[in-house]
Amino acid sequence: MSVPNEDNMSSHTQLSSHFFGELLDSIIVDVASECHRIARLGLDRNLEEEEEELRLSAQARVTVADPSNSGETNGKYVVDIFGQTHPSVANEVFDCMNCGRPIVAGRFAPHLEKCMGKGRKARVKATRSSTAAQNRYSRGSPVSAYSSYSNSTSTNRLSNGTYNHTVEEYSNGTCEEP
Amino acid sequence: MSCSDHTLLHSQSENGHDIAVDIERSELYCCSCSDQVYDLDFDKVVVAKNIVDMPSKTRDSVVDDLMRRSSKRRRLNSVVDLDLIRSKFFVWMRGRRAKSCYPLGLRGLNNLGSTCFMNSILQALLHAPPFRNYFLSERHDRETCRKRSSDQSCLACDIGVIFSAVYSGDRTPYSPAQFLYSWWQHSANLASYEQQDAHEFFISVLDAIHEREGKERNPNKDNGDCQCIAHRVFSGMLRSDLTCTTCGFTSTTYDPCVDISLNMDTSSFSSVDVANKSVRPNEDTGRSTLLACLDLFTRPERLGSDQKLYCQNCQEKRDTLKQMSIKRLPLVLSLHIKRFEHSSLRRTSRKIDWHLQFPFSLDMTPYLSPSIVRNRFGNRIFGFESDEADISAEFEIFAVVTHSGMLDSGHYVTYLRLQNQWYKCDDAWITEVDERIVRASQCYMIFYVQRMLYYKANEDLSCAPMPSRRDPFVPIAGCC
Repeated sequence: MSVPNEDNMSSHTQLSSHFFGELLDSIIVDVASECHRIARLGLDRNLEEEEEELRLSAQARVTVADPSNSGETNGKYVVDIFGQTHPSVANEVFDCMNCGRPIVAGRFAPHLEKCMGKGRKARVKATRSSTAAQNRYSRGSPVSAYSSYSNSTSTNRLSNGTYNHTVEEYSNGTCEEP
Repeated sequence: MSCSDHTLLHSQSENGHDIAVDIERSELYCCSCSDQVYDLDFDKVVVAKNIVDMPSKTRDSVVDDLMRRSSKRRRLNSVVDLDLIRSKFFVWMRGRRAKSCYPLGLRGLNNLGSTCFMNSILQALLHAPPFRNYFLSERHDRETCRKRSSDQSCLACDIGVIFSAVYSGDRTPYSPAQFLYSWWQHSANLASYEQQDAHEFFISVLDAIHEREGKERNPNKDNGDCQCIAHRVFSGMLRSDLTCTTCGFTSTTYDPCVDISLNMDTSSFSSVDVANKSVRPNEDTGRSTLLACLDLFTRPERLGSDQKLYCQNCQEKRDTLKQMSIKRLPLVLSLHIKRFEHSSLRRTSRKIDWHLQFPFSLDMTPYLSPSIVRNRFGNRIFGFESDEADISAEFEIFAVVTHSGMLDSGHYVTYLRLQNQWYKCDDAWITEVDERIVRASQCYMIFYVQRMLYYKANEDLSCAPMPSRRDPFVPIAGCC
């Protein structure tokens, strides 16, 4: 913005220009004064450290995105730091603490779900035939009252594992082993 | 009284008249120093004058605010230190038998069927210094616990078992089956073989430990300062200020919390960028940072006109300003990033996949209540705040839980920092990774511990010197 030549301006323009200058100065000094106070009283954040962290992060993203770096290999097929390899489904076998049967580790959760009578499938079973279900579950399974299925109405849940849509078929009258 | 032109002349002509007052801003200027200067008494007068001009009830609340001293100062538990000594001995004993030169406590966890949400949080808990020290020194007595309640499961006992197993020196992956069983008994509504949220699991575990331990340790039912291990380690206090926009009256409430859930700053790119079409509205511009999220969390928020709150001073409902701040920091600070976005319009939910930058060293000072409140009063000096400073606000990161994949089907992995080396814990697989991988990862929960505790913890785990640096991107096989 060029400095107006005061001789050529009317006094009106001169005055408004002067006011503008005052307002601008005032705003600048407001900000400067606040910042000065913060800096002088030691209230400011450690900007150098923060910038260093940002720089390292940006650099990291560039390095990781570069295809020439071997990058993280898929965790399931490498040797771990102790020199061990593992199958993609954990194959340790132990006894289920609910029913006592030996179960493969990688399949323990789905087994336990049925074993304890919990989960979606168990609830589906229960609603299909109420009397049959009552008979089944009154025979000593530990459960109970199912609380209502908490689905993603609770916000901010990130899930893992694939969502299994299949529902088992039941033939009439046969008892399902838990 | 003079304008800026005369100020300098006046101080030169008159002796001892060096101080000038900026009456617009209530600031002092020293002509000898040629700089703005600050004085405690002057600031007190300025603040006092502002208070006097307020309506009486507002004034009372403000004075309460300013005069409030840090009440129960949290002593860095001497009990925590005792745990540290005991656990050091334990670790040293085990260390002599350990078969590898990697830190103790590094052990894979088998995935029992979509349980990576559980494994990822367990890894973080296994390496949270004060939590670890407590369980390694066997402060939770499994014998007495079992006697007290024979058939009820105790998650604290089961966690104790996991600690023993993971720190035993055995490196074959461990199956936390008993723990899963106990947890499903406790959290019936979450008991199913399907998608689960790691954060939900985290809260649920701490809650279960509190339920069990809380009863024995807090016979007076004093919930304000619960002594159970979950709260002693993870619990902090949040402060919420509600200010009436009409009269300035502020009401303050305090709530304990075991973690802080942060919204991502979706407005981090300017509208100019969007207008110029250089940035599409929902694109990751690479500018989202953890500090921006914390700024957002502590920013004054104008509650909508449909959310008017009752003001005691005005005696009616008014538009309100709400501001959060941290009254007391926990020993372990757990930050949860809300990556879930729910659009009520389209009735869809999606995951926000953007990268969020997070620092390895974090200074929480700007988010503490004294900083936030002081800022509200123009950063005037209050002499009686100095006793807040001895509680450390400096933290070091020790674990990051990351999520990759879609909302309904994804995978959790935890990165742990032990003695300045990062390890990736992907269910049964433990590998070494370069810190750059961690920085570039998509964080979901970030765990920080107070700096002093971090340094102490990393002394314990020393063993034989680490293998020399190699290509950081190749996982390293065990050395012995």
